Amino acid sequence: MIEVLIAVLTALLILVGAGFALVAAIGLTRLPDVYTRMHAASKAGTVGSGLMLLAVALHAGDLSTLARALAGFFFFVLTAPISAHLLAMAAHKRGYPLHEKSVRDELNDYRN
Amino acid sequence: MTAAQMILSSALWLALVVLGLSFLLTVWRVIKGPTLPDRVVALDMLVGIVIGFIALIAIRTGFTLYIDIAISLGLVGFLATVAFARFILAQGRGDETVEEEVRPVVPAPPLAQKRKRASSRKPGAGPAVSGKAKK
Amino acid sequence: MTTYILSLVFAVIWVAVTGSATLHNLIFGFALSTLSLWIVREQMSARGYWRRMGRILSLLVLFFKELALSAWKVAVLVMNPRMDLKPGIFAYPLTVDRDFEITLLANLITLTPGTLSVDVSEDRRTLFVHAIDCSDVEAVKRDIAAGFERKIMEAFR
Repeated sequence: MIEVLIAVLTALLILVGAGFALVAAIGLTRLPDVYTRMHAASKAGTVGSGLMLLAVALHAGDLSTLARALAGFFFFVLTAPISAHLLAMAAHKRGYPLHEKSVRDELNDYRN
Repeated sequence: MTAAQMILSSALWLALVVLGLSFLLTVWRVIKGPTLPDRVVALDMLVGIVIGFIALIAIRTGFTLYIDIAISLGLVGFLATVAFARFILAQGRGDETVEEEVRPVVPAPPLAQKRKRASSRKPGAGPAVSGKAKK
Repeated sequence: MTTYILSLVFAVIWVAVTGSATLHNLIFGFALSTLSLWIVREQMSARGYWRRMGRILSLLVLFFKELALSAWKVAVLVMNPRMDLKPGIFAYPLTVDRDFEITLLANLITLTPGTLSVDVSEDRRTLFVHAIDCSDVEAVKRDIAAGFERKIMEAFR
């Protein structure tokens, strides 16, 4: 009984994680400019791979695996915003434009 | 085959298909571009998807050492993205075709002025210098 | 707050190194690392260690809630067949002024719904945030000020 419950939970985590990865990929292809694409990649993508790591921990069911998976999860969650932030800063400093629908750019106003 | 194994293996199959699909979509973005940061964002995303693949394989084979591989891949991917960001910052807009492909930014005149400044300063200006000289 | 994070990290490392992954061992490792950090407390100047723990935990809970919400919002936005975006970069006036707190706030903002921190001004008073929906900037600013920024002030001041 408990075995089935764990299997169902693991399957749920896997499927939700894969779903978020797919959503991030669709967002990457559909969104109009670099900055909006970063939103999709840094949030949905991180959550997707993090959930799948947690699924491994749940499936293995011992504490050392859980500790390593949690360490990996925290590592991804902590590094994803840093890389997104650094990329956005570099792209904006080099003048890659925002999409034409963008309503404001106060950073550009500040720089000039 | 017990019920638990059946649930798990069918979920694994479905998840592998979904991840493969997202992998292809992301690769399409890497190929299409249109700008360098777009490709870097897509490559960063690819690392995340591959980590998902590794996790699925770890569950499939029951070999939890794969988690260590996933963590080290995440580390390498993060460092690669940081290096790419530094590269973009240092190298500037190498691909000149971008300007025709992408429509102009909201306040057009200030940006045009900035671009001229950036290109006139380009030779010999390292990333650390350009960060300060921006002001 | 560094000591808290440190002793947690040390406990996890203890479990990984000793290789016996039981709950007792984790608790033992945590107690051991807390003890050893307590011995060097003079050098670390870690006062109010226990008092802050609750606040840091509540910040963590808020963070995970916002992360889940944000992934969900991106999913809804992307799957919507008619995308109606109003993206833009707005300036957020900072109340926190230490480097560590600004870094933490910027990272938290990046993982919250619809916002992504881009740059910080050189006088460290303004954070530039890219938002996917700029139709109501004032509401977003109020959310950040009342949510994360207040919690960070509570946890680390």
